[in-house]
Amino acid sequence: MATYSLTTPNSIRATGALRYLIAAIFVGFCLFPFYVVISTSLKIESDIFAWPPRWIFRPIWDNYEAALFVFGGSGVLPFLINSIIVTCVSTILAVGLGAMVSYGLTRFRVFAGHHIFFFILSTRFAPPVAFVVPLYLMLRQVGLLDTHIGLILIYTSMNLSLVVWIIRGFFESIPIEIEEAARIDGYTHLQVFTKVALPLVKPGMITTSILSAIMAWNEFLIATIMTQSNASTLPVYLGGFSGSMGLEWGPYMAVGAMAVLPIMIFTLVLQKHLVRGLTFGAVR
Amino acid sequence: MSQSREARRAATILVSPAVLLLLALNIFPIIYAVYISLHHWSLSSPNPPRFAGLFNYQELWQYDDRFMNALGVSAVFIVLAVGIELLLGFALAFVFNAKLKGLETLRKLSLLPVMAMPLVVGLVWFYMLNENFGVTNWFLTLFGFERLPFLTDGTLAMLSIVIADIWQWTPFVTLVIFAALQSLPEYVFEAARMDGLTEREIFWRITLPLLRPAILVVCVIRAIDAFRMIELVFVMTKGGPGGNTEVLPWYIYTKGFLSLDLGYAAAMAVVMIVVVTVVAQVFVRKIAAPE
Repeated sequence: MATYSLTTPNSIRATGALRYLIAAIFVGFCLFPFYVVISTSLKIESDIFAWPPRWIFRPIWDNYEAALFVFGGSGVLPFLINSIIVTCVSTILAVGLGAMVSYGLTRFRVFAGHHIFFFILSTRFAPPVAFVVPLYLMLRQVGLLDTHIGLILIYTSMNLSLVVWIIRGFFESIPIEIEEAARIDGYTHLQVFTKVALPLVKPGMITTSILSAIMAWNEFLIATIMTQSNASTLPVYLGGFSGSMGLEWGPYMAVGAMAVLPIMIFTLVLQKHLVRGLTFGAVR
Repeated sequence: MSQSREARRAATILVSPAVLLLLALNIFPIIYAVYISLHHWSLSSPNPPRFAGLFNYQELWQYDDRFMNALGVSAVFIVLAVGIELLLGFALAFVFNAKLKGLETLRKLSLLPVMAMPLVVGLVWFYMLNENFGVTNWFLTLFGFERLPFLTDGTLAMLSIVIADIWQWTPFVTLVIFAALQSLPEYVFEAARMDGLTEREIFWRITLPLLRPAILVVCVIRAIDAFRMIELVFVMTKGGPGGNTEVLPWYIYTKGFLSLDLGYAAAMAVVMIVVVTVVAQVFVRKIAAPE
């Protein structure tokens, strides 16, 4: 596109070199804290508190060992397992229920369907901190405090809006003729959904799965209030030390690295769908 | 179009589980929060909850300086963080908007902060902003400045959480504006150029108005998400020093789960839900899916 630069105003219009320079500085700023997490997790204590900061040091793995098995009594391992359980199950539920309701609302006339759709979308804006008081009392009432199920149900409900928005677009793009043909072949409506429609929106399911999983994996506030020990997730473990971590930066950063690095890979994979997923599809 | 009995049954099976779940975990908690907020409801007191009418709300509006402070701090945080993110993100979108080798890779890499665990973001910035061994101060001294007590000075503490938020979310703003830029139809600009508009005029009269929806979307989403932010405060400042970073979510959290005054926390939660709902309804109906 030769006329590309037309969208750029004179004042911001930059030569190629200047673009590279600004972009590189920005990327450096974006990546630097990751470098700090990883490098600190590989340092011995005296290097961690060194002034000036030590850029060259001998890396050690001790912090990871301490973080996994020792740090904070039990180490992070049980929390890691809780995180994986809660993330996986809530993601499967959110994507499953989300796909069902999206398909139901796109393909059938449902009473107040339009309102249901807007209602589901608007739950994206529900501020978790405003819900923790009633949710805490509700979970306590039914005996689900400090359980995986309690967290899983809440995360599922929190991720539904995201799933519905993204998957709905995918369902709408399926030619209705394909589904009608399947109907003529004798499929019931539900069979058309499971055997014809669902396989066709697989890319959408993968995208929403990753996004939902990241949300559940990262969530802190709900987890820290609804769990004590049995079902506590990784962010709860990290948050638990924030007051008293004075000297434990090494293992602490090691846990941070474990919490953040897997997500980084997924973020790069997701690129294309992030805009749509995070802006309600308002920007494609 | 009338639907067969089988179609109706299928629709019910597909729609109801999600709707029931949201009724239970989204609508009911709002009603319940209103109910709790009308009571003296303390987890630390042995007495059962006692009806209090609008007492908690009256307390909030008339006597609670901490609540007013929290509203103000939240407002300052939102305006500063979202404002800077929008300006920076907007400008950077134009920087990335060129077909140059390697620029796309850089743009993709810049997106990494967006999905990082907020608690870890707070943690690493807490470490980097440390007065004594933090790398931020090392950079400052490198350029001949004094070390700054980022986390213990009132104004600087606010600036610190703003910096961490900017780090995480500027790439998101860039991504959205960039995507919007890419989707602008080229012929509009060609026509404008043929009409003899200068580049400056094209920017103000064509590009900017065309980007307006995207800017609005990202502005509302960022503002609402900044309003709920609690992790950075939790890790970096605990609301301090002297309430300078005590945003509303942090105050609700401390009232509800450190002071165990659930009734009062619920009243603040209701206020927060009302504010967010008004903004979100306008957003969802008018901007996200205009019909």
